[in-house]
Amino acid sequence: MNEVIDKIISEKGTAVEAVIPILQAIQMEYNYLPADAMQRVCELTDISLARIYGISTFYSQFRHQPVGKHIIKVCVGTACHVKGAMRVYDAFKRELKLDENDDTDKDGLFTIDKVACLGCCTIAPVVQIDDSTFGHVEPSKVSEILYEFLNSDKDSSSTSSGLTSNIKGIDGEIRIGLGSCCIASGSSDVKAELEKSLKANNTKVDVKQVGCVGICNQVPLLEIHKNGESPYYYTKIKSTEVNEIIRKHFRSRNPFTRLRTDISGIIDNYIINGIPKSVKKYSSESVDTPVAEFLKGQINIATEHRGAIKPDDLDEYKKLGGFEALQNCLNSNPNEIINTIKQSGLRGRGGGGFPSGQKWELVKNTNSDQKYVICNGDEGDPGAFMDRMLLESYPFRVIEGLIIAAYTVGANTGLFYIRAEYPLAVKRIKEALYYCEKANILGDNIMNSDFSFSLNIFEGAGAFICGEETALIASVEGNRGLPKMRPPYPAVSGLWGKPTLINNTETFSLVPWIIRKGANAFADIGTKNSKGTKVFALAGKINRGGLIEVPIGITIRKIVEEIGGGIPNGKAFKAVQIGGPSGGCIPATMSETPIDFESLSEVGAMMGSGGLVVLDEDDCMVDIARYFLEFTQDQSCGKCTFCRIGTRRMLEILEKICRGDGKLEDIETLEKLAASTKKGSLCGLGKTAPNPVISTLKYFRHEYLEHINGKCPTGKCKELIEYFIVDECIGCTKCAQDCPTDAIEFKPYEIHIVNNDLCIKCDICRQVCPVNAVIIK
Amino acid sequence: MINLTINNTKVSVTEGTSVLKAAEKLGIEIPTMCFLEGLTNHPSCMLCLVKDKKNGNLQPSCALPASEGMEIITDDNEIHHARKEALELLLSDHVGDCEAPCRPSCPANMNIPLMNRLIAEGRFHEALKVVKEEIALPLILGYICPAPCEKACRRTQVDEAVSICSLKKNVAIDDIENEIQYLPEKEPASGKNVAIIGTGPAGLSCAYYLLLHGHNCVLFDKNNEAGGTLRYDIPDDKLPKSALDAEIEIIKKYGAEFKLNTDITKEKFNSEILLDFDAVVLAMGNFDDSNLSSFGFESTDHGLQINRNTFEVNDTGIFACGNIIRSRRMAVTSVAQGKAAAYSVHQYLNGIAPERKKRMFNSKFGKLFEEEIPEYKKETIPDARINLPVGKLDNFSKEQAITEASRCMHCDCRKPTTCKLRIFADEYEADRKKFLFGERKKIKKYFQHDIIVYEPEKCIRCNMCVEITAKEKDTVGFSSIGRGFIVEINMPLNRSIKELLNATAIKCAEECPTGAISLK
Repeated sequence: MNEVIDKIISEKGTAVEAVIPILQAIQMEYNYLPADAMQRVCELTDISLARIYGISTFYSQFRHQPVGKHIIKVCVGTACHVKGAMRVYDAFKRELKLDENDDTDKDGLFTIDKVACLGCCTIAPVVQIDDSTFGHVEPSKVSEILYEFLNSDKDSSSTSSGLTSNIKGIDGEIRIGLGSCCIASGSSDVKAELEKSLKANNTKVDVKQVGCVGICNQVPLLEIHKNGESPYYYTKIKSTEVNEIIRKHFRSRNPFTRLRTDISGIIDNYIINGIPKSVKKYSSESVDTPVAEFLKGQINIATEHRGAIKPDDLDEYKKLGGFEALQNCLNSNPNEIINTIKQSGLRGRGGGGFPSGQKWELVKNTNSDQKYVICNGDEGDPGAFMDRMLLESYPFRVIEGLIIAAYTVGANTGLFYIRAEYPLAVKRIKEALYYCEKANILGDNIMNSDFSFSLNIFEGAGAFICGEETALIASVEGNRGLPKMRPPYPAVSGLWGKPTLINNTETFSLVPWIIRKGANAFADIGTKNSKGTKVFALAGKINRGGLIEVPIGITIRKIVEEIGGGIPNGKAFKAVQIGGPSGGCIPATMSETPIDFESLSEVGAMMGSGGLVVLDEDDCMVDIARYFLEFTQDQSCGKCTFCRIGTRRMLEILEKICRGDGKLEDIETLEKLAASTKKGSLCGLGKTAPNPVISTLKYFRHEYLEHINGKCPTGKCKELIEYFIVDECIGCTKCAQDCPTDAIEFKPYEIHIVNNDLCIKCDICRQVCPVNAVIIK
Repeated sequence: MINLTINNTKVSVTEGTSVLKAAEKLGIEIPTMCFLEGLTNHPSCMLCLVKDKKNGNLQPSCALPASEGMEIITDDNEIHHARKEALELLLSDHVGDCEAPCRPSCPANMNIPLMNRLIAEGRFHEALKVVKEEIALPLILGYICPAPCEKACRRTQVDEAVSICSLKKNVAIDDIENEIQYLPEKEPASGKNVAIIGTGPAGLSCAYYLLLHGHNCVLFDKNNEAGGTLRYDIPDDKLPKSALDAEIEIIKKYGAEFKLNTDITKEKFNSEILLDFDAVVLAMGNFDDSNLSSFGFESTDHGLQINRNTFEVNDTGIFACGNIIRSRRMAVTSVAQGKAAAYSVHQYLNGIAPERKKRMFNSKFGKLFEEEIPEYKKETIPDARINLPVGKLDNFSKEQAITEASRCMHCDCRKPTTCKLRIFADEYEADRKKFLFGERKKIKKYFQHDIIVYEPEKCIRCNMCVEITAKEKDTVGFSSIGRGFIVEINMPLNRSIKELLNATAIKCAEECPTGAISLK
């Protein structure tokens, strides 16, 4: 072991700030942090045992116990939560026969873990086993998933080099999105099948792997661009359907193959799910298709060339105007750039909405021999995945924005802070940095100017609080991510005490467009005080979830009804949760509220980083508040009293209410505690943590009162509900077979009965019942 | 220099000065628990919250840099409320007793664990001094007290209670057997005279503490011997007359004058007592048995009406205590009331409106969980309770007393007077139960270190010890472990506390704002 550790240290260095990268490397090696390894690190470096242990226990990425061969990560982000993630988690625990406090099964095959958010909200509930992601996971499908995982051919997903764009005589182009959601939904398989199929049919088509296509819940999505025809979209396709699609659009060059494939059946089921129109494919010219509806009303600035651009193709990015803005800036005076940014009205997209131009100016005007620029990609809000999408799909754009900022403020060193849960984003940025360095876009005298700039990646280790800029800096410096008092602001004294510009990923990605098109083009979009567009992660109970970029000031209703296509399954729209754990719930009755910084604050929510989770009539608002407090009391850095204990006590009151043990005076205590936690906490996390409670109490107080009267009106709170089987039961025994606790007796052809003393409310019976005879009371 | 105003007073400080320090310059004290000069002072306790007048925000003054033109308020209702709530949140997560459960259950509030520890060390005389601070008649009570303290004793969860009552009697006997008995040094003589009518447990106890406060006492009794119910109602086989006589003798020696065979009639009371004395204490036992009915004082269903806090019958210097105000079975209550009445009389004689002596804030957590019993057993001996053959009439030998006292589990805090959490909780009148609805954490105690004891459940996560040990590069040092609500300060990688700190052990114990780290 010592040799391994010694090698890691020789790579990462012996300084105190190397602690997180060292621990990450050790964990990569052993899957956990062996005590001896940590001991060895302390012997060889300046890192003390007290520090290393303080760090390793602060960040949730690190494990201190050996783990199973495979790690199951159950996402419990907001979108997954409202779609039953906890039931999925429980189902895995049952399937693996784990006791309450166990997380690894007897055979050491699987370790189960809850993760805050995998950022695949549109295909919720999501489970990741090692590198494989599974979407739309239902508790009843858990054993199937484990079986599938263990028996899948690992090599099939590896890149098969079939076709390149250099083939002569190309008939067209097929675009396939390979963002995290797409891959989770099976895009890799589709791509592999596509290549196989094209080869078999001897079809000459360019397969282009693009970034996130945005319309995440329709993926895998194929876009077929045939020479001389308008493009066609195929949504939610399965790998088994690929061959027929190809056959339909591109005649095989091999007559034999053509003959053989003509015999197989007709394509009939790659229609957008839940959309009643029985069209088989969507032409981009017809305006009433779901794809067109989804794209209508959006403005692509951060997501410019969405679905068309290849994430790792620097030449393509340049061809489409990339790095023009940078070139432009390198020939301008920094003050002019600041003026442009100021005029554009750009405000920080991380949540606070601080005017970006002003921030840049502050850093620029602070004298120092050394300055830093940091891109904040530590997107920790459960239910948000904007940063991930931007980093994965438009790495060059973010880099360009960052270099412009660095040039403007006079920084020669920059950093991407990307959360560890986003491996693909890290990979794409890494590649992009490599290409940029080779192309003299990074490094010394970039683009033949006097300006030199180096850019690195720091992988976050799993702590929501590190999205807060002072905590982020603390973690880069090799400390526990504790936020500091501001002032001093990082703009004056940041990383290593030097002036540091920290902007959100999205903020940077808007910059090149603003420079290219001019401040006014940006300022023309949006409202009086909030200019431009905002990227939202639309998820939850919505027909068309995905990554959307809309003009600021758009109403909630427009997003939910027009872009998102309303609520699935005929349910009623109840509320949207905006801003994650710092935000609030806005009821459907207020859906005309325009989405801008000020309006959202007024109604008790917050722009946040842009998570937008839609809730329907089945969602319990007390449960939502409880959910967020459970998150914050765990993610609090644990330093100041109000945040550390206040959030926990609020959670305990909410749990009590959800259990049906709440009393009227508990609501009053909760309200007062929320007010003092808001007032007395040190940093933004604590100050905004009570928002989910305050907003639900404001708009959905009646639901709290109903719980106090012993009833959960939506049937969400386990302790307050019971399952019943009604007369529609056909006696198919499915429920009895799948019930994990034998609470339903096996009675073929008879009406089944749930024994509520044994029932654990896993909901499986209701899901497997073919005639909807299982109800909740 | 930076100019700012604090509570509307101007002050100039150098750049980088915190508001806390700027206030200090003006002599304004802001409460803090997690502040220590020389550390980074990352705000934690939030007790030092002050208000920025311009925006109404509350901010921790220890980390808030003074800035030009700043207007700070250091105390108003909102700030007071926030500080109180911070304390209440901390208390909801603070599992520890300020006082051992036995002490508050003693009506006289005797410092039982301290007495036990002194006995265990063989320091009987010092133990007696501790007893006499609260109980004037330990020998008598040693025979007849029903010992509610022993019912509250935590040792009952292990085996049987410590024989507190008998131990107290033992130290009293030890004193009486000495040539000279312990008489605490009196406060300077006041020249005031107090009449105490009745020489039962309340009257005797009252006399003892009035004498201690420097006043003259004359005790009247209608009987020809002092002692009241102790002499006439309690049989000899429960309380030997010799024991009663011995303790009355001590009070006499201390300076009390006894006027026996003196029936206080209404006339005598009005014409002599009221004229000759500066204050009067009525302690003549059961109201019905006394001839007080005719005196014209107000009465209730169960006795003479008094101010329950101060034992005043009225504001002209007449006080009452013992069974006369309510008939009780326990002599210890009368003894406690006698002491409390003496304190009121003392204040009255000094021209101060009497107020009850407030007991200091007391954090308590109740019963031990099963898994906590071993933690408490770490600080005691396994021996079973020594039950004497004839019960309370019998006495321990010195060796037996030492063994029995060593059974005490030291439930009380090691920092009862220096714990900042307790001091501020007391000052802000914090309600320890306000947020007490979570599952309480389980207590662990670490004794392996030679100098200090660590009790993590008393910790408020200020992190000062982590910084102190890191700064001085002490061996391994404390580590801040985990995050969120469950963050804890403990040993990294399960190291023993023995290797954890060396040079900084004393400093950590001294600076720890609570009883979490204390000297052994």
